Amino acid sequence: MGLEFLARIRRTTLWLSGIAALVIATYFAPLAGAGLALGALASLANLGLIELLVVSITTPGSKASAQARARAALALGGMITFFALGALLLKFLPAMWLMIGFGVPFLVMLMKAVALLLIESGWWAKFTARPWRAALAVLAVAFAMWLALGALPGAGGASAQRSAKPAAHQPAANQMAASAKAPDAAEKVEAGGDKGEAAGEKGEKKEKEPGFPTVITLLEQAQPHAAWLPFVVHYEALLFSLFIAGLICLLAFFASREAKMIPGNLQNAVEALVEALHDFVVGILGPKYGPRYLPFLGTLFIYILAMNLFGLIPFMHSPTASLNVTVALALTVFVYVQYTGIRGLGIVGYLDHLIGSPRDVISWLLVPLMLPIHVLGELAKPISLSCRLFGNVFGEDMLLVAFATLGILTLPIAKLPFGLPLHLLFVPLALLSSVLQALVFTVLSTVYFLLMLPHDEHGDEEKAQHAH
Amino acid sequence: MDFHAALGIGLPIGIGIAAVGSGIGLGGIGNGAMQAIGRQPEATGKIQLNMIIIAALAEALTIYAFVTMFLLSPKI
Repeated sequence: MGLEFLARIRRTTLWLSGIAALVIATYFAPLAGAGLALGALASLANLGLIELLVVSITTPGSKASAQARARAALALGGMITFFALGALLLKFLPAMWLMIGFGVPFLVMLMKAVALLLIESGWWAKFTARPWRAALAVLAVAFAMWLALGALPGAGGASAQRSAKPAAHQPAANQMAASAKAPDAAEKVEAGGDKGEAAGEKGEKKEKEPGFPTVITLLEQAQPHAAWLPFVVHYEALLFSLFIAGLICLLAFFASREAKMIPGNLQNAVEALVEALHDFVVGILGPKYGPRYLPFLGTLFIYILAMNLFGLIPFMHSPTASLNVTVALALTVFVYVQYTGIRGLGIVGYLDHLIGSPRDVISWLLVPLMLPIHVLGELAKPISLSCRLFGNVFGEDMLLVAFATLGILTLPIAKLPFGLPLHLLFVPLALLSSVLQALVFTVLSTVYFLLMLPHDEHGDEEKAQHAH
Repeated sequence: MDFHAALGIGLPIGIGIAAVGSGIGLGGIGNGAMQAIGRQPEATGKIQLNMIIIAALAEALTIYAFVTMFLLSPKI
């Protein structure tokens, strides 16, 4: 017992309240979840201050007494500030959830104390001596929790059970349906029985694409009539991509701020990534042109990879699952490639490249045929780049959503606030495909640059590559 | 047969056909690449790179079908 016990309580409370806040924010109301989380945080901070006070008072030895007094003063002042803050929070957030959050650490403390007492007692040792008895107890506890969860009003997460008792918990159920993992698919199943209930708001919700709830969806529920909401919803992918760009900038800043000869963990990882990208790009473009295009291509890879992987984080969304973002990326590549071509070959050389570099009579005769082919080939590049990336990431997200829906629909009778995590099977696949698509995008962009650059020894290779 | 029914039947079949085609293509690409690696293990890096590029090109066709399906599926 003692300080170590308190540290354990703090850790457990953080985890528990975090998970509980997420679940409540998704299935009840976002504000309630926020209230729970903030309440738990305030309680934890309060506990920490009390701990500080007690420690500073009870620490023996008069040597550090001035320091101890300063600490005690800090603790008291902090607690008073927290009272003010708590009053402020009570004004904005639901009081009940704040109080529940405030009570979480005490609940954890109580449970831990009970568990400690129980584990040390002889009865517990006798009980767990036999594995089957312990297993039976675990099963009994699980069954009791199942029953208790089912009895709680509005605890069910799957919207499929909504039709079972629609009148009992309508407001909660409506919000649940909107935020349950795949609203559209689940709604389609029971659209017939439900239409009369909440036709007004359902009508516009149905237009939405299916998908996991994101931060934006939560905002939409918390402030359904805010003036800035249409903007945020409309530019969801853009906002997320800007956010990711900011994250990458921050990461790069922190990794390169204090460059050392013997790098730390972060610097080491970033250097390894940059080095691998450098070798990769220089391997394709050659030592002459490689370093010039490395920043652009490397940034593309890192950015696309981060955007692809971002959708796997709960409450986040892959910006690359929207055609706008991928088309923007592909257009950037397209413009840069054409610019490279014109700059490297000159206008005449560029046109010469477009009409297939005619040198004799037959190839001059073929110019009317070659020109459209080359122009179409150039125009097809951004289209295929963007559609490939969009299709893969979007398809991967849809796969996860479809299987998550299936997982929810398998357990409608249990009335649990969650379903079977069937989509977990496909998360490794999504990881693999995210990396692969980022790589493919980068490789193809690099090859487009290679085709545009003036090349002497690659004459035959170019024709072979143009064939596809 | 009305428009919706035709779309409902056609979309899955269409994407299936596209998948078959690019599956055959990917099989051929993988076959060639593996044989090449088996013959020249020291060129593995280059072969793998080209294999990924061509595989992406072959796979893109299915993805186009997939995107088309998602564009059309709200009309069912």
